[in-house]
Amino acid sequence: MNEDASAERASGATADDIDEELDLRRAAAIMQEARERALHELRARYPAVFAVWGLVLMIGYGVIWLSVLGQHPYTGPTPLSLLALTLLLAVGAVTTVIIVGRALTGIGGASVAQRRVHYLALTAGLVGIFALEGALAHAGASDSLIGVYGAVAPMLMTGAIYTASPALWQDWSTRALGAWLVVVAASSAYAGPVGVWGVAGLLAGLGFMAVAVVRRGRDRP
Amino acid sequence: MSDDELDSVIHAPARLRIMVTLSMLAGGEDLSFTRLQDLIGLTPGNLITHLRKLEDAGYVTTVRSGRGVTARTGVSLTQPGRAALERYATVLRQLLDGTDPADGASINP
Repeated sequence: MNEDASAERASGATADDIDEELDLRRAAAIMQEARERALHELRARYPAVFAVWGLVLMIGYGVIWLSVLGQHPYTGPTPLSLLALTLLLAVGAVTTVIIVGRALTGIGGASVAQRRVHYLALTAGLVGIFALEGALAHAGASDSLIGVYGAVAPMLMTGAIYTASPALWQDWSTRALGAWLVVVAASSAYAGPVGVWGVAGLLAGLGFMAVAVVRRGRDRP
Repeated sequence: MSDDELDSVIHAPARLRIMVTLSMLAGGEDLSFTRLQDLIGLTPGNLITHLRKLEDAGYVTTVRSGRGVTARTGVSLTQPGRAALERYATVLRQLLDGTDPADGASINP
């Protein structure tokens, strides 16, 4: 008791600060308020992240699709449309870093290390895919083949990683999205080098949007 | 049933906030001292005092890591702490309802 009092004096706290009278209704209100604040501050707004990526895919792939629509023979996306897609991908990445990073500041433990591995795997996979695309072009692959590969390979890789993600997120909706991306990537490739951009962008984007809606409903306190 | 049945270690505004905040972390996660202080809105000294009481009761654990600019103190709820908070919420709910319902645990009062 004396030790507590000494500690309180040393810290500048008063007895009221430390063990203020607490009636039952106020205790219940404090619990509710603390819970809502923690949910608001410590949980990343993943619905917003998924919604942003849904828009990035639909608009980015849509712009590419419009740029190749009607090409005979197929020559590939215009530099301007590729620049637009690159900028949109950058917006998605920065938005993700800001939203997730802000919420997870100060949180430590195994799950944080797992999330880092997840993002590292995604980044490494995308770098490898774009490097391979360059190698295919260098080896003389046709514009059509490069077009289909460029549209579906990043989606296939992302889907595969998301499917394994329950180890990180323990979340069925992310796993379902991963499976959806794999199916969309594999099947939309049959739409050819022009159609693949429209089909894959629309279906994958809708998948991200659907997960955003599901998670928004579930994350409500 | 009376107020005396509420765990006196938890039944204080600041400690209740600390316990509920830490209970929102997933298993295996901890929260840095500075982020916890920011969320609870206490001075460092006050927070240390409350954490000491909770630590003495075995409800929270603090782990220090790193040195210098990388130094970090992680605070997390222990299993007994989580169970104590569940019990506290159950008793509080029963007292507020004026009933004595069957056992059932949730941190929502």
